[in-house]
Amino acid sequence: MSFIARISQRSPWLYRINAGSCNGCDVELATTACIPRYDVERLGCQYCGSPKHADIVLITGPLTLRVKDKVLRLYEEIPDPKVTVAVGICPISGGVFRNSYAVAGAIDRYLPVDVNVPGCPPRPQAIIEGIAKAIDVWRERL
Amino acid sequence: MPDMLSSDTLSLLFAVLVFPGGLFALCVGLVLKGLDRRLAARLQRRVGPPLLQPLFDLVKLARKRTLVPDIACKPVFLAAPMVGCVSMALAAALIPIPGVYDPDPLLGDLLVVLYLLAVPAVALMIAGSASGSSYGAIGFSREMALMLAYEGPLLMVLVTVAIKTGLAQGGVVTFSLSEIVRYQQEHGAYLADPWMWPAFLAFLAFFPANLGIAPFDIPEAESEVLEGPLLEYSGPPLGLFKVMSALKAVVVLSLGIALFFPTAPAGAPGLLVHLLKLGVLSLAGVTVLRTAIGRMRIDQAVLFYLKWPEALAIAGLAAVLTLA
Repeated sequence: MSFIARISQRSPWLYRINAGSCNGCDVELATTACIPRYDVERLGCQYCGSPKHADIVLITGPLTLRVKDKVLRLYEEIPDPKVTVAVGICPISGGVFRNSYAVAGAIDRYLPVDVNVPGCPPRPQAIIEGIAKAIDVWRERL
Repeated sequence: MPDMLSSDTLSLLFAVLVFPGGLFALCVGLVLKGLDRRLAARLQRRVGPPLLQPLFDLVKLARKRTLVPDIACKPVFLAAPMVGCVSMALAAALIPIPGVYDPDPLLGDLLVVLYLLAVPAVALMIAGSASGSSYGAIGFSREMALMLAYEGPLLMVLVTVAIKTGLAQGGVVTFSLSEIVRYQQEHGAYLADPWMWPAFLAFLAFFPANLGIAPFDIPEAESEVLEGPLLEYSGPPLGLFKVMSALKAVVVLSLGIALFFPTAPAGAPGLLVHLLKLGVLSLAGVTVLRTAIGRMRIDQAVLFYLKWPEALAIAGLAAVLTLA
């Protein structure tokens, strides 16, 4: 791998999409796992406010019917190469919301998911491990 | 012109592109940014990113795809970051490094620096409005409001130092940065003079807003307007904006050093002292501030600038005029 490629894989930027989550996983992402306490910034990660800056997408929540189109549109706006991480049990199976009339169903029917981090909510350590795995996947696509 | 590429032109080009503008300022700016992120992490009891993280980010951005929105005005959208970068490389070549580098009077003086300092903010505003995004438009209006508030104190601080030097040299006013630095090298730094402290404090208050860091990062607030003008940028143009802000940090901090405490030995030790001062000013003035205070609202920030830095700058100017 060239020097440039080796350098650029050290800067994966994160973007969060809330696909109808109860906010539990988002709290884990925003306040415990990622920045202040367990610190994914040492892996070079950084939250960005715009989908166009992102490399790794963290999706939480069961895909509800109401946000489905918006989530798919947001996903399209993220420039390649990108990696998708499903955080929590909801994007995998629907979790406690699985039989709801308002839920569109497992997210991997609509988007390619690369890493699953199950849990309700997942432990911060698990989220960080998921991000580390996503970085490995991203490295190969870069 | 027959002597287009004479040694003068070449040395000017070198000053703008390599040292102290362009490449050198970019390296210093990126290291300052890395130090800033590392110290901020330590203050929050984290490990923090590697020192060269801003460089890694730039290289990654250079390899990503460039997306241009359908409704954007494409030429302006892509030109805005370049204009910002070029203006800052030029400004970096205008500011002396005490004992090491003396800018060519052909390039310009303090007034040119004042105008060039406004260009990145204007580039951001144009970028925001050319992107066609409503968040960009909000960023535009916030940047504009903030700029109108902080340019007043800045202008007065520059005039204060110019008049102080001019009067001391027997004239009225000196806008040459080399003269200002030379006078302080001979007669001691202005920072040692208590009558110059209001002006220095006004300058300290000015640079967080100009550099767009908390508590004054309101135009690019990522949690409320999704990075405002930068929202639609991706890949290399976004990287150019990062280059622009790295250069701008070096320009603004070096300007502060040249205006208030430029005393330094000549030669290589002078360069080391300059870098040390840049580091201290950046860590004390930027990092500690941004980790200690949350973001202000735009109306609070504008009121703050119209009150305190304005008052301090007026007091500083009055002190210089009455003591003369």
